[in-house]
Amino acid sequence: MQKTSANALIPTSHLLGSGTATCSGCGALADIRLFYEILGEKTIFVNAAGCMTLLTVYPFTPFRGSWIYTAMASAPAGAQGVRDALDLLLAKGRLGKEEDLQVVVLTGDGSAYGMGLSSTSGAMERGLDFIYICYDNEGYGNTGHQFSAATPHGASTATSRGMTGFPGYKKDLFSIWAAHNPTYLATVSGADPLDMVRKIKKAKDLRGPRMFIALAPCPTGWHFDASQTVKIGKLAVQTGIWPLKEYVNGKVEHTRIVTKKRPVDEYLKMQGRFSHLFEPRRNEKVLDEIQTRVNDYWKNVEEGE
Amino acid sequence: MFRIRFHGRGGQGMKTASRILGSAFFLEGYETQDAPRYGAERRGAPMFAYVRAAKTTIFERGIILRPDLVVVADESLLLLQSAGVLADLAEHSLLLISSSHSPEELQKKLGMVRPLLTLSMPVPKDIFTSHPPQSSACAAAAAQLLGLSLQSVRQALHMELSGLSDEKMAENEETANSAFLQMEPHRGRVGEQPETGSVSEDRPSWIILPFEDARISSPAIHGEATSLLMDTGSWRSLKPFIHKEQCSRCDLCHTYCPEGAISFDNDGYPCIDYKHCKGCLICLVQCPLHAIEAVQEDGSFHNNKQGDDQCDNS
Repeated sequence: MQKTSANALIPTSHLLGSGTATCSGCGALADIRLFYEILGEKTIFVNAAGCMTLLTVYPFTPFRGSWIYTAMASAPAGAQGVRDALDLLLAKGRLGKEEDLQVVVLTGDGSAYGMGLSSTSGAMERGLDFIYICYDNEGYGNTGHQFSAATPHGASTATSRGMTGFPGYKKDLFSIWAAHNPTYLATVSGADPLDMVRKIKKAKDLRGPRMFIALAPCPTGWHFDASQTVKIGKLAVQTGIWPLKEYVNGKVEHTRIVTKKRPVDEYLKMQGRFSHLFEPRRNEKVLDEIQTRVNDYWKNVEEGE
Repeated sequence: MFRIRFHGRGGQGMKTASRILGSAFFLEGYETQDAPRYGAERRGAPMFAYVRAAKTTIFERGIILRPDLVVVADESLLLLQSAGVLADLAEHSLLLISSSHSPEELQKKLGMVRPLLTLSMPVPKDIFTSHPPQSSACAAAAAQLLGLSLQSVRQALHMELSGLSDEKMAENEETANSAFLQMEPHRGRVGEQPETGSVSEDRPSWIILPFEDARISSPAIHGEATSLLMDTGSWRSLKPFIHKEQCSRCDLCHTYCPEGAISFDNDGYPCIDYKHCKGCLICLVQCPLHAIEAVQEDGSFHNNKQGDDQCDNS
């Protein structure tokens, strides 16, 4: 039996088994661990191709409940099929109410921001009753970290080298998803487990599309030491780069407002993927641009509230 | 032809080492090949990279069989059969292992009679932020054993590591110099071997798998949390150790452990499941009271009794 701590901030049941093949210090694993603790084993994870398909490599799985694998672009479509099947079985009385499962889509940013966006849009449009977890490690992680639509401006990836890094900008998936008016939508970060647990609990009791974008610092793709994952996750929030927010009843609310934001340099400097912005000399132009964009975002938030 | 194999864990720089050595060969007029081979693209996973060099056209392709020199970045890899460090070794193959032990000590520890050399690395200033430039050291030591010049190694360093700051470049050069000097007594010990034709190679053996019904051939797992059977503890190079006397039972280590490898003993103190702890050391960085220490892993993770039984609630 697992003993619990009187001070435990999060459940200590260790529902998700250890021993998976994810990298040491994986931010996405930390996120999913927390989701699993709250959502429990009466779930079925519908997993699109990505880093987290490494969780389940035959004959090993960390899950105690169900898990199925889909093609990269179609996890929400797979979830629709599973939900429909469950509903039919429930209606026919072949499944008892207590045997019903929470359908959870699990994809990385490559699928969520890019190739799976269309099927996600369809699922929200149909009001599918499911939870969507996007673990956002800002690149195609398990193939060597090529850029995705979630890669931030200036980051170096396997397919964006050179002195300026990725020329594009991170897609605003939150707004795109919000435009579908889902039941619930939130950004979370494993480095802020209390905010995260509160949001998952809230979503768990609702019905309809409930969407999550979880920041997943990636030691392998972002080039930092595995021990720094949580520190970087915290800095992402403290610098204002990763706003923690939720969308309920047509309104966006920020759940953590950092009044004294740290300069973005502190966050960027810790990661090898931005090292070309500091060495051999500082790239003031790109660094200024990143800081200005963050400042503008929060200025808009303040003016809007 | 020279055939060299570098073994390391993802993140230890052995791919870069192979590139540096390849370039050093090239600068001395050799034809070269260098290529990495990964299992999983993840940090800490065993990988290898190989270099071929010859003064004539190289027709050989693919991974190296019968290497002349095997360079190992991390001695714990020798205990992992899946890392394949000792695979396909020939009688003449020489092992060079990065280790703080002497060759005799290491032979004894590993129970190995094969001749080997060890390369000692400088102690890093800070285990998290300053990694010793292992790639430069391993490439330079190999170059010495192969009879290449320090001049070519230095030039190759600049070719392969351009973009580093002056400070880091200087550190790489310094480490390469000292590794090169360390191997001075063994200069040119690794000699060239003749090219072997495909005719002389063993034919692969085939296993015919029958075509199975979809219910059998599409994998379904019926057990719960079977991943617990995997010993991911073998990935560690540093091991977190909790000093209970300094611990306030605040729970942060358990909260942030991505592996779920920390639980609590009967008194509410955290304890670590070393069978699964991958050694990321997030717990150490997050512990507000600095009650967690990083201890060098000696590879005996699976039968390490000291301190490991503190979590035994079963």
